[in-house]
Amino acid sequence: MRCDDLDDVIEALAEGDTLSAEYHAHVAGCSRCQARLAMARAVDRLLATREAPVPPAAFTFRVMERVGRAEWRAEQLVDVGFNVAVAAGIALVVAGVVGLAWSLGWLTVERPTLEAVGAAIEPWVSSTLARGPTVVLAALLLTSALGLWWWVEGEASL
Amino acid sequence: MAQEMTSTSEHELVARCREGDEQAFRELVERYKGLVFALVARSIADRARAEEVAQDVFLKVHRGLPYFRGEARLSTWIYRIVVNVLAAERRPMKTEPLEGSGDGPPREFGVADRAFEDLALRNRMEKAIARLPVHYQVLINGHYLKGLRYEDLAEALDLPMGTVKTHLHRAKRQLRHLLETEFR
Ligand SMILES: [Zn+2]
Repeated sequence: MRCDDLDDVIEALAEGDTLSAEYHAHVAGCSRCQARLAMARAVDRLLATREAPVPPAAFTFRVMERVGRAEWRAEQLVDVGFNVAVAAGIALVVAGVVGLAWSLGWLTVERPTLEAVGAAIEPWVSSTLARGPTVVLAALLLTSALGLWWWVEGEASL
Repeated sequence: MAQEMTSTSEHELVARCREGDEQAFRELVERYKGLVFALVARSIADRARAEEVAQDVFLKVHRGLPYFRGEARLSTWIYRIVVNVLAAERRPMKTEPLEGSGDGPPREFGVADRAFEDLALRNRMEKAIARLPVHYQVLINGHYLKGLRYEDLAEALDLPMGTVKTHLHRAKRQLRHLLETEFR
């Protein structure tokens, strides 16, 4: 029996398990394995007497605080999403009504009028497209501000 | 403590938490904070970071409660989250440079200066534990933690009950090897 064969059972020996007599016989005559066994026993002893770290007094408070903040953020997100959905819904309904009225012939717009409207909004459209990112950002800010305002109104009325 | 909790009260607590009962969740944190914090702080030496990570565990518990179906015990589920959070914490970290090397014969222990040796060895052991794979780390840290149930530990680590002892021996062997070589 070689020392390497014993390496796998040192931990079991350290815990006091009874193994086949060969193992015990080898350890009795081998200082290297005795040292390993001593190390394994020391590790066991130290692990068993290791202090358990205790959480600080304010631990629960701080967890609840973070949970509250996370919930607030989640609600905010839901509210913004809800507002955007409502706005998109309204826009769809309006577009649908206008389209229906148009196709049923209830709504007639003279070609010159359309052209006049086109000419009137053309400069605005092209300048808006040029400043695209800024406008989108402003629109997003406005939407979230309105959403937040709407949410705060809702919370306050509870 | 966790083991004093009957399954019915655990069930009730989970149900109340899922209804959004803040007091119930506070109770859950109170029940598990000791074991969760001890498990985390035994793996992460920096106390401030350990507290943050232990808080993360409970935030994940809070977020996951609506999806917790109660197939596993609450405790098992929480320890599994601990294992995942510790594994994620470990990933971006660089491994510490090895302190010394070589694989000469193991150091001998005199009985006379055991107290001093213990102190020095404890220090080396903590460093060596930090270097173990997360599963071995949690197994060793959890096994010697009063109040942590054996079966919870086994389930959280996906180990069949009958193999826990074998795995614990392997974990301790790897720890001993580190102490005999890199952390001599
Ligand atoms: Zn030997």
